[in-house]
Amino acid sequence: MGLMTHSSTFLLPKASIVGHGPALNYALVVLNQSLPRFTPLLWRHAQLRLCADGGANRLYDDMPQLFRYDDVFAVRNRYKPDVIKGDMDSIRTEVRDFYANLGTRIIDESHDQDTTDLHKCIAFIRDLMPDLDKSNLCVLVAGALGGRFDHEVGNINVVCRFATMRIILLSDDSLIHLLPSTYHHEIHVHSSVEGPHCGLIPIGVPSESTTTTGLQWNLSATKMRFGGLVSTSNIVKEGIVTVRSDSDLLWTISIKKA
Amino acid sequence: MDLMTHSSTFLLPKISSKNGLALNYALVVLNQHIPRFTPLLWQHAQLRLCADGGANRLYDEMPQLFPHEEVFAVRNRYKPDVIKGDMDSIRTEVLDFYTNLGTRIIDESDDQTTTDLHKCIAFIDNFTPDLDKSNLCILVAGALGGRFDHEAGNINVLCRFSTMRIILLTDDCLILLLPSAYHHEIHIQSSVEGPYCGLIPIGMPSGSTTTTGLEWNLDNTAMKFGGLVSTSNIAKEQIVTVRSSSDLLWTISTKKA
Repeated sequence: MGLMTHSSTFLLPKASIVGHGPALNYALVVLNQSLPRFTPLLWRHAQLRLCADGGANRLYDDMPQLFRYDDVFAVRNRYKPDVIKGDMDSIRTEVRDFYANLGTRIIDESHDQDTTDLHKCIAFIRDLMPDLDKSNLCVLVAGALGGRFDHEVGNINVVCRFATMRIILLSDDSLIHLLPSTYHHEIHVHSSVEGPHCGLIPIGVPSESTTTTGLQWNLSATKMRFGGLVSTSNIVKEGIVTVRSDSDLLWTISIKKA
Repeated sequence: MDLMTHSSTFLLPKISSKNGLALNYALVVLNQHIPRFTPLLWQHAQLRLCADGGANRLYDEMPQLFPHEEVFAVRNRYKPDVIKGDMDSIRTEVLDFYTNLGTRIIDESDDQTTTDLHKCIAFIDNFTPDLDKSNLCILVAGALGGRFDHEAGNINVLCRFSTMRIILLTDDCLILLLPSAYHHEIHIQSSVEGPYCGLIPIGMPSGSTTTTGLEWNLDNTAMKFGGLVSTSNIAKEQIVTVRSSSDLLWTISTKKA
């Protein structure tokens, strides 16, 4: 079983290679929830920046609030997405016009009601951007949690549906990503920006056997399922957490306030 | 297979049992921003608990829902019956305030194996002989938002206490379990909820789900994470029916005022 390494370097000021895995290329997708306070940092790390429909409203409204001493339009001009994609039922006309005038590519998929806006964005990144090295690609999704629960679940399901891609869901309080069962995992915890609260969630199917190291309450060939044990309110104790499981799990860890 | 009926009458002004459900409500307040309709939930509830830091939320935020009233008048009026949990979040002045008012404080800081919500549900289940459990429904305010592991833990409490009616509530939506042992009729109160809804195969894939009353109905359809999960659906009729081979979560949006 191959090793998959995880590290939240996108939450650190500089994405340096710290010697434990390939350097990743980041893409950022902004969804229609309040922007996490570290969105400017994610933006800097990303080579490609997309808004999913109403995520453009959030960028337009909320980014200037993160730079209160800067002129509003200066901030808006600086944080210009490459693409806005989705069914366009949420984006405000003045926001759409503003970014269209700046040169943002607007991709209207209002005919497609079968997939969520996030799904459309991930599929776009996967299929239509050959310039981006997909083997080292990591998609950061800002504003993935909060709001309607069915939206949140839809976003988690996108992570499960694109299980071969690295996709990280981010909110102000926590991040979530998939740990595919085909790998054993090393999670390098950057304690200056994340932790210690964490969890492992058997998403989709019960897990017959999960084994971990580096947690306060480690699992040892332990079963997990909804209705039984789900590892929540766990605590990271060491710099590296390892996980191996017979089924896909979600890893979640808290993000530290500034 | 027996019928189980659901209706969000707790989101309507307090009236007598309009549709035969006649439920007794208990309210648990968790440590997240309290929904704007919490005073309405409070009115419906016979028993009101705070889970640890939920007491801070009640203390700080209830007065904000009554901006024209004096702060301490509101705090005195919304006094929980019980505060329970491991007490690592509740502020000292909040604990003292409610203790002085007569709230029962149950400190379970020795128990680190269950969440504060789990402790509250277990308490309601085991230690409230005066409460009629046969028609009990537990409303949980502030169940979502914040840390995702907390959210997953709260959802797991629904699954662990699957024989009890427990409804997770936020400003934006509600979530409840549809146990597979029943077929379900969900009466939509369209003045306060909907139309956005979803059905989620929690814990395991669902081999077969059939619905009526939705924009995109399911017809013996399989659902699983990594495949189809019914989200961004729309309630089209006043009654939505669901039957499934495994437990599902039902979620529906709550309307802004």
